[in-house]
Amino acid sequence: MEFEGCNCFRQRLVLSTLSGKRVKIRNIRSKDDNPGLRDFEASFIRLLDKVTNGTRIEINQTGTVLFYQPGLLYGGSVEHECNVQRSIGYYLEALLMLAPFMKTPLRAVLKGVTNDPTDPSVDLLKVTAIPLMKKFGIDGDGLEIKVLKRGMAPAGGGEVLFTCPVRRSMKPVHLTEPGKIKRIRGTAFSVRVSPQMANRIVDSARSILNKFIPDIYIYTDHMKGASSGKSPGFGLTLVAETVNGTFLGAEVVSTPQGQGDPVLPEDLGRNCAKLLLEEVYRGGCVDSTNQSLSLLYMTLGQQDVSKTLLGPLSPYTVEFLRHIRDFFQIMFKIEQQKPGEDEQKGGEKVLMTCVGAGYSNINKTIK
Amino acid sequence: MEKKEQKRHQHKHSGPKADKKNRKKEQGTEPERDERKRNPRAFSVQSAVRMAKTFHRTQDIKTKKHHIPLVDRTPLEPPPVVVVVMGPPKVGKSTLIRCLIKNYTRQKLSDICGPVTIVSGKKRRLTFIECNNDINSMIDLAKVADLVLMLIDASFGFEMETFEFLNICQVHGFPRVMGVLTHLDTFKNNKTLSKTKKRLKHRFWTEVYQGAKLFYLSGMVYGEYQTQEVKNLGRFISVMKFRPLVWRTSHPYVVADRMEDLTDPEDIRLNPKCDRTVSLYGYLRGTFLKNKCQVHIPGVGDFSVADVSFLPDPCPLPEVIKKRALNVKERLLYAPMAGVGGLVYDKDAVYIDMPSGHGSQQQEVRPTTELVQSLIGTQATLDAKMAASKVTCLMFSVLIVRKQNPMESREWDERAQRERRRAVFADEDDDDDDDDDGDGEQESDEEEDEEEDDEEDEDEEGVTTLKKHDKTAAETAAPPVKKQKCEVPMEMPAFADSDDELEKSEEDESEEDESEEEEENEENEEMEEGEPAKKSSGPDSGLCSEDDDEDEEEDSDTDEDGDGTVKSKMSSKHPEEENIDTDDAEMEVQNGHNLEDLAQKATEAYLRHQLAAPNLRKLVYGTVAEKEEDDSNDEEELGGLFKVNRPEKSKKVRADAMDCSRFQPDNSHDWDQEEVRSSIRDCFVTGKWEEDKDAATLLKEDEELYGDFEDLETGQVHKAKTGNKDQAEEAPQVKLDDDEVQKNKRLEKKRRLKERFDAQYDDGDATYFDDLKEEMQKQAELNRQEFEDVDDEIRVQYEGFRPGMYVRVEIPALPCEFVTNFDPHYPIILGGLGPSEGNVGYLQMRLKKHRWHNRILKTRDPLILSLGWRRFQTIPLYYIEDHNGRHRLLKYTPEHMHCGATIWGPITPQGTGFLAVQTVGGIKASFRIAATGVVLDLDKSVTIVKKLKLIGYPYKIFKNTSFIQGMFNTVLEVAKFEGASIRTVSGIKGQIKKALRTPPGAFRATFEDRLLMSDIVFLRSWYPASVPQLYNPVTSLLMPVGQKETWAGMRTLGQLKHDLGIRNKPNQDSLYKPVVRQVRHFNPLHIPKELQKALPFKNKPKQMQAKGKTPRDLQRPAVVREPHEKKVAALLDALSSVYAYKNKKARAEQHAKHKEFLKQKEKQEAERQKRMKEERKKTYRAMGQKEKKKLKSSLKGASKDN
Repeated sequence: MEFEGCNCFRQRLVLSTLSGKRVKIRNIRSKDDNPGLRDFEASFIRLLDKVTNGTRIEINQTGTVLFYQPGLLYGGSVEHECNVQRSIGYYLEALLMLAPFMKTPLRAVLKGVTNDPTDPSVDLLKVTAIPLMKKFGIDGDGLEIKVLKRGMAPAGGGEVLFTCPVRRSMKPVHLTEPGKIKRIRGTAFSVRVSPQMANRIVDSARSILNKFIPDIYIYTDHMKGASSGKSPGFGLTLVAETVNGTFLGAEVVSTPQGQGDPVLPEDLGRNCAKLLLEEVYRGGCVDSTNQSLSLLYMTLGQQDVSKTLLGPLSPYTVEFLRHIRDFFQIMFKIEQQKPGEDEQKGGEKVLMTCVGAGYSNINKTIK
Repeated sequence: MEKKEQKRHQHKHSGPKADKKNRKKEQGTEPERDERKRNPRAFSVQSAVRMAKTFHRTQDIKTKKHHIPLVDRTPLEPPPVVVVVMGPPKVGKSTLIRCLIKNYTRQKLSDICGPVTIVSGKKRRLTFIECNNDINSMIDLAKVADLVLMLIDASFGFEMETFEFLNICQVHGFPRVMGVLTHLDTFKNNKTLSKTKKRLKHRFWTEVYQGAKLFYLSGMVYGEYQTQEVKNLGRFISVMKFRPLVWRTSHPYVVADRMEDLTDPEDIRLNPKCDRTVSLYGYLRGTFLKNKCQVHIPGVGDFSVADVSFLPDPCPLPEVIKKRALNVKERLLYAPMAGVGGLVYDKDAVYIDMPSGHGSQQQEVRPTTELVQSLIGTQATLDAKMAASKVTCLMFSVLIVRKQNPMESREWDERAQRERRRAVFADEDDDDDDDDDGDGEQESDEEEDEEEDDEEDEDEEGVTTLKKHDKTAAETAAPPVKKQKCEVPMEMPAFADSDDELEKSEEDESEEDESEEEEENEENEEMEEGEPAKKSSGPDSGLCSEDDDEDEEEDSDTDEDGDGTVKSKMSSKHPEEENIDTDDAEMEVQNGHNLEDLAQKATEAYLRHQLAAPNLRKLVYGTVAEKEEDDSNDEEELGGLFKVNRPEKSKKVRADAMDCSRFQPDNSHDWDQEEVRSSIRDCFVTGKWEEDKDAATLLKEDEELYGDFEDLETGQVHKAKTGNKDQAEEAPQVKLDDDEVQKNKRLEKKRRLKERFDAQYDDGDATYFDDLKEEMQKQAELNRQEFEDVDDEIRVQYEGFRPGMYVRVEIPALPCEFVTNFDPHYPIILGGLGPSEGNVGYLQMRLKKHRWHNRILKTRDPLILSLGWRRFQTIPLYYIEDHNGRHRLLKYTPEHMHCGATIWGPITPQGTGFLAVQTVGGIKASFRIAATGVVLDLDKSVTIVKKLKLIGYPYKIFKNTSFIQGMFNTVLEVAKFEGASIRTVSGIKGQIKKALRTPPGAFRATFEDRLLMSDIVFLRSWYPASVPQLYNPVTSLLMPVGQKETWAGMRTLGQLKHDLGIRNKPNQDSLYKPVVRQVRHFNPLHIPKELQKALPFKNKPKQMQAKGKTPRDLQRPAVVREPHEKKVAALLDALSSVYAYKNKKARAEQHAKHKEFLKQKEKQEAERQKRMKEERKKTYRAMGQKEKKKLKSSLKGASKDN
């Protein structure tokens, strides 16, 4: 399959790896002053190479053309130095998609930036993606994301451990009822700044959220010494849990040192709380960052009907849907659900329905 | 045979059991047992342990019966059941098929050629396939058969083919197998007949399973089997149930019953060997088939499907089921390869070829290549044919929407000498005009059509929006490969920008019937609907943010383009539709107005879809095509030399945009405002709950259920709210609500009550298994319902083509031999491949040589495997796993043990079974299946190693250190092995220490003992073996007709040598020579004198000299008797011999006497016994009579008493 441009770079490679179809991407930033693949993309390719066996990668001189022939997902113990241009979330999102389909359970140690403003952070994925994966039958004690060291942008220095068991196939899901939010949890973290920052964030965030629900608890997490990375920063991750086990998350991180205006912790807390409200407004059974993950797992399920209620589709998800159609010939039935007259449950929801591709993990060994 | 003495039982002499026995023996009688043991009660627990054991056992047996519950994925209208009739030649296969067909359809089919599909009952269709005696066909058909009728010639007995086929079946998931014994009339003797039957039956049972069904067809009557027997067999077939098999439920497949070559005749004329485009027809089975997927055609190879479309069922089940049996019209027969029931395309009609229902008009036997000939013989050009086929597709697709009942008009075909039933459809007249409707059929066509429509539009109207530019650009960029397909005589503009291309297809279908006014109404409605949707997306544009952006871009672009017309969003969308309106109007004028109710229906359907699937799907799937074409559009050449490299436009930016999954919120919500905040109030538990989940309502319901209760703590008595109070409260509401609401409420309440009841009483013994089963059932229900009411055209896009559909699969670039060497007697199967199953890699498998195959297999000898859909030749490497997990290469497979095998072959899911044959050409081995096994693992690298011994010789020996040479060649090699352990042949262990400078490759090593110069030192190491990358699909279908079973691939080394007459020159040392053993000479043992002295006498060497000659003085003289003495001695001798003779005689006499006596005695004894017996008998009889008398008298006495 041929693509152009570096847009949806991860999606294409991940889907190619899962479907076994080779991919050629041309014109990667060919018009740019600095053409070709960026360091973080190269790092991503290297990570894929580490978790697979027999992958063939060809990149031309300028880095504007990439040919990728996927191998078999191998898994095992992997250690990867992620490029600091993007945070670990960038790499972790792809690993989340691949991890259940490995030959041996994955145990990846990723080093780099744990939190930055562009990508979903490790904390957010930990509180939202992991419970989502459990719904698809990926559970057991092996499934875990652990922040060993926290490293803020730009210098990084963080370390994250991700372990995931392997599965033969995914369970079909029916997530149509998000349920009502019963509690809000969160983590306010600060590294290489005053520990007081975290407390200030907590107070401001609570001031907004308290108007909705009293059950709020925000942990403060101040890391010191070796586990505090190389740059200062602070941030807040909030997650709202519903009675049906849906997790909606939001996060805000302070601007990296030397890039843009510094933010006050109070503002940050408030912004994050508002982001969470926005997320609640969008609603659905899966939050906006994990839409594509859930759709992928639905696609790779058995040949049964899966349903998921999502909030409005993000542009990334829309692209992802198109790619799923290209790689797996699976189209989703998309139904919009308008909110009722008198119920006040946020905006429009989208009900995604599909029949799974009957995918089974061909990498796993049987004895 | 001599009988071996069996080992006798050994009594235990020690241990608890022996002790127990001893104790028993000692005590003589058993000790007084307690009453419970002496007199057990029938159903009470004797021993808790035994009880537990029996319980466990019953549970084990119970759970063993469980199968893992699977989701039931059988479609509502299942495809015909594939019945493969198999057996060695001349056993009566064709006769049986013919008889069965006659039994079911009352039609006669003289030549069984390719699959024959018939309607056998109200809910079942059957496809009969005859399996010829080629192992290729046997393998292929075993993979698709649902039921195998295994014909066995009883007069001959079982043949190897039967067992081979059974083994093939076993590997690929066991279909149902039913044995049929034929040629039973050859047995004249009834006894031998029944004996043979029994013998064959029991053998069959051991092969299949105990109690497998075996049918007896006793004899032929006028060349046919007896009607009653065939009828019974038919009944068995039509009620048979089938288990789902794993491979088939996870892969789609088509057993092609029709093949057509679509290649341009011109291309064939230019190059007769050009690749062909072929369309294959058949029922889809297994699972959903996706368009553009990869398929494997066993015997040909892997191909990607160009296009799939579904056709109306050529052999449909009866629509309404009310009668008890099918009538003659419903007993359809479809066998296009045999030239029956096939559709023959004419310019604008379809002939369904069918003999009439009576046997009197028999069809003549046709040549087997009839189809091909008919293809060659047709006069129409391919384009015309294509167009025609489109037409027919359209007709059917229209028909699907409506009732599926073509009108019949009979015609007498003089050429064929039989009646033909022309299928005439209600709106046949129209279809010349609106060919375009065919585009509803396939997505790709649709797109192209759409594109062309756009072009036309532009030409006509000159109205251009940017979007359109993009689209046309895409078309120009698109390869013109498939243009040929859409050359339809007339093009009708479709809804180029209607909300959904999928809906459009439906519109297209229905539009011919719609009247103009309604069309307009619809447009209006659509507009009205579109507007609010747009508006609503204003505040929370997150949902359609991209769309909006696009729209805005378009708008701005149109402004820049200077079209002059600044259009609103709506207007930018609608000019085309207006065009369509006008065009449609023309169409409608042509078509005339008709069928108001149909139009009504169509409108309704349209509106429903409009509501159900608004813009979003188009946003996701519809606009993909637009993105790539910017380039070509942008790069206008300036003066033919320079390209205008514009600053990157929005689209371009998107191609290189940041790859980030985060969904940035828009800032339209100000969460500080109260009303914005209240918009999500209900998302929290603190908010308002739904009616049915609200705590208050739930409480109230509970009260209604349970009535009044007393609070024990306070002593307060709560009365259930009396009806009138309730009513008083709800009275105004009740008035407002209809009866229906009330009814619903009541129903709801009932349901809840029932649920509660179930939970209380049923779920007590619900096991995990039950739960699982229920879950599966629910899933199956959902799977069925989800897309039930969706139109097939759209449904196909969501689900893929579902099993049971009759599909047409177009495959480009098939080798020309497929067409030129086409033989309908060989099955053509399209096996769908899952994702990444089209790739090739290393497969690790567990393999066992078949017990009946008479030779073991050699590593690196090519072997033909049947794995998944495929048959291919490959070179396996056999290995065995050592205790430490090492895979050690084997030269040959073990005799009766599993071993591992690694091959280079197609990626196939683990757990898939395979079988191996050494050759598919001819029958060389007595049993052709060489090995069977299962795939364990897939990998891109191999881990097999073989043992490598490096040998060296010491050239200098110090105490425990030696210098070794000859093992390596360079210092570097030694460096790599530093620290490795080595050993001598005599068993002295050591270690490599360091390389020596000279000679190169020599090293210093230490040993646990001093070496000798004659010692040989070796190093045991493992060398990775590489698997040869041979993957050679068996292309038996491409062989010329009649030679299809002669496919020969790569030859083995042995065959090559045999064929080329090469003989190996053996190593001289390996040859056997007569063993010549020299007599060994041992030196005498020499013990020093000193030592001898010190030794005790026992150990002193005894000087045993040979005895010399006895000296004369010691020799004794011989005795010489005197004559008198001689006489005496002679007399004594004579006397003694006389005495001995007398004695002997007397003893013999005595012996004889004694024998006589014994005989006499025995006789007497026997007599005595006899007498005694009689005596005893007498006494017993007397006793018995006495007893009886006594009893009688006592009874009498008793009766008297009464």
